[in-house]
Amino acid sequence: MRRYVLRRSLLAVLQCLVVLVAVFAVGSLLPGDTADVLRGELGTPEQVAALRTELGLDEPVSTRFVHWLGGLFTGDLGNSLTTGLPVGEDLGRRVGVTLLLGAPALLLVTVLAPLAGTVSGLREGSRADRALNTAAVLLHAVPEFVLGLLLVASVSLAAGLLPATAVGMDAAALLARPAVLVLPVAVLTARHLCDLARQVRAGVAAERHGAVAAHLRLLGMRERTVVLRHVLPGALGPAAQQYARCVEGLLGGAVLVEAVFGLRGMGTGFVEAVQNRDLPQVQAYALVFAGTVVAVNLVGDLVAHRLAPRREVTA
Amino acid sequence: MTTHARAESAHRPEPGRRGVLAAGGALALGATGLLTGCGGDTKDGGSGDRFRAAFTAGGSQETLDPHVAPNFVDQARAKALYDTLGTYADDMSVRKRLAESWESNAAGTRWRIRLRKAEFHDGKPVTSRDVLYSYRRAADPELGSPSQELLSAIDFGASRADGARSVVFVLEAPNFEFPTVFAGPGTEIVPDGTEDFRDPVGSGPFTHVSFTPGGTARYRRWADHWDGPPHIAELEIVPADEESARLNSLLSGQVHYAADMAGSSVERLRKDDATRLLTAERATAQQLLLRTGRKPFDDPRLVRAVQLGIDREALVRVALAGHGDVGNDLFGRGLRGYPDDLEPRERNVEEARKLVKEADAEGLRLTVETSSVDAAWEPAVELMGRQLDGVGLRLTGRTRAASTYFSEIDTQGVAAFNTTSTLPVSDFLQQRVRGGAARNQTQYASKKFDALLDRARTTRDEKDRLALLARAQRLARDESGLLVWAFSDANDAVRSSVRGLRAAPPNSHDWARFDRARVA
Repeated sequence: MRRYVLRRSLLAVLQCLVVLVAVFAVGSLLPGDTADVLRGELGTPEQVAALRTELGLDEPVSTRFVHWLGGLFTGDLGNSLTTGLPVGEDLGRRVGVTLLLGAPALLLVTVLAPLAGTVSGLREGSRADRALNTAAVLLHAVPEFVLGLLLVASVSLAAGLLPATAVGMDAAALLARPAVLVLPVAVLTARHLCDLARQVRAGVAAERHGAVAAHLRLLGMRERTVVLRHVLPGALGPAAQQYARCVEGLLGGAVLVEAVFGLRGMGTGFVEAVQNRDLPQVQAYALVFAGTVVAVNLVGDLVAHRLAPRREVTA
Repeated sequence: MTTHARAESAHRPEPGRRGVLAAGGALALGATGLLTGCGGDTKDGGSGDRFRAAFTAGGSQETLDPHVAPNFVDQARAKALYDTLGTYADDMSVRKRLAESWESNAAGTRWRIRLRKAEFHDGKPVTSRDVLYSYRRAADPELGSPSQELLSAIDFGASRADGARSVVFVLEAPNFEFPTVFAGPGTEIVPDGTEDFRDPVGSGPFTHVSFTPGGTARYRRWADHWDGPPHIAELEIVPADEESARLNSLLSGQVHYAADMAGSSVERLRKDDATRLLTAERATAQQLLLRTGRKPFDDPRLVRAVQLGIDREALVRVALAGHGDVGNDLFGRGLRGYPDDLEPRERNVEEARKLVKEADAEGLRLTVETSSVDAAWEPAVELMGRQLDGVGLRLTGRTRAASTYFSEIDTQGVAAFNTTSTLPVSDFLQQRVRGGAARNQTQYASKKFDALLDRARTTRDEKDRLALLARAQRLARDESGLLVWAFSDANDAVRSSVRGLRAAPPNSHDWARFDRARVA
């Protein structure tokens, strides 16, 4: 186990580095740079050139990357090319918003998915089981932003039950008025909740009908014990990995959900950074996103490994 | 049609940023309309006297330094805090603001500006030193003021303060259109010596409360403003890059004002009783730029063939969904200096085909640069392609990234789409049509045109000056390769409860004039 953990952790660090190099490379391949974006059409070539020099964009990409990497190891992520402020400031302001969105979503998924999955897995074909399947299929057919707009139109605008957007609200304002978060969290959660629940359901159903469970029952073990000691650990193992994917999905979903509801979180921040060709800012987001995804996957794999060691090959 | 969120520049629509939601958004917005035909609730955003306005903020440098503020959101923020010497009326003629009067010598090289009595928020008077400092600062090319080129015509060594409330500007060359600079974006008056804008002081109708880059800007009514205090107690300018978020926050009453509405949002707002559209009709000049400095449009016959080959009526009907007017290949309809007496350009496929044949260009493949900056462009390319098929030219579009579109078309391609909001006609000609001008994207270079502009600048009598400008425009209309195929609307929207705001063209005095707004 220890060797597995070590190997897996090294791989995780490597993955992060690969992502950062790739993002920098792709980022610098995008047409234009921050100087072009900020000066826009009104900028004369002289103004754009002056800004480019000021921002250090006239240096070769490789030099800038090495410089950035050097800064990374000393904990200095550089300044945003757009605002001139340290990239950490912008991230710090936005991370709270995304956490307020992501944490409740993750909590809901964590609690409700195994519950719903287990219930429908134990009662295949029941009404609850069919409802879960139908919801999952529907939510796959409707993109998150469409779902968001539909909910805003019906729940907020037509019925007036919940606030429509979070335009102009920072993390503190959201905390003071959590009702604003209900719709975004619901949109962000719905699909992943169903996905994970279905995964748990499939695992529970398979394990319950499996030879091992049958054997345990023959040995006279009570059904309750079979489920708790054998069926659930067997089903939750692969689900732990799916759960890790779900965190990635939440990060991706945050980009769209934040846009729909006018939240100034990490998702919209990342998009803006790319549009502004603000590479230090883009790199900072990539670092946080990649770090989160890799770390969560690492933990997911380790947990899966612990719950069902035979599945190590899939890790 | 797709939805798009665009960040329009103060001076003209600009690096539009397509929203994250891009394609498919229209579908959802359509559904929004179906579901909520009866409109939102009535709780108006914030409490009592706080007025909230939502703008696109992408591509902004996110500073309250008014001299580096090219986007609409920057202009709105600057308008709250600062004053300019002059201001643009709807037709882009210059009105007085901080300047009480101005006059030039007979040669048009020395301009004396008298300042009205006004104070900065810290109680200090606005003086000629502040004006000189602000203009000198904004004239620095390193800074990036949108009006830098206009300001660079001032000889700052020779210009001077003449008493506390009188400034004499000396110009490098005579220019009787010089007053247009007084209202230019990025020419706001800041206190002498200001370098730090974290806690900015201006002489505008609102005082600064707080601002987070990328976040909300808060202002408070300034009771001592020379033009009378604002009606609202507090102003919040909030960023919302996605058009659907701006729309929904307005429909639900979370904001009072939503800037830059287009396409399906406009349709949605037309049906809504709790909100009101502020439509500046025909404010945006839709252009097709043909690069006359490059093959194949260095052949005037092909420029002419495109002018004659496109069907403007159909373009307005389809690409603008009827919300616009056909253009006559000239910028600035309705603005001071626009020659109104020209015959409209009639489509003539036969003549166009003949010209293409003469130029030996039958079946020639042409690529036009386009982007999601303006939702009208995509359908326009489609339609123009089919129309030009009929004259023997094969036109197809190449879509480029929105945020860097305008810098790319500076150097790339032979044809491109562009839009320009209202700005003074003389500025437009000077900066975009004159030979060698930095923003002359068609590379038109005509000594005759330039000479007419020069003569206009040095002509004192306004009628004569405008007549010369009209002659220059007739020339450019045929030769410059800058085709204005239509004028489209610019839309903002407010809650119905908002009074005191009217539809006004972008860049004009009354646009986003929140100190005149009140909430009923």
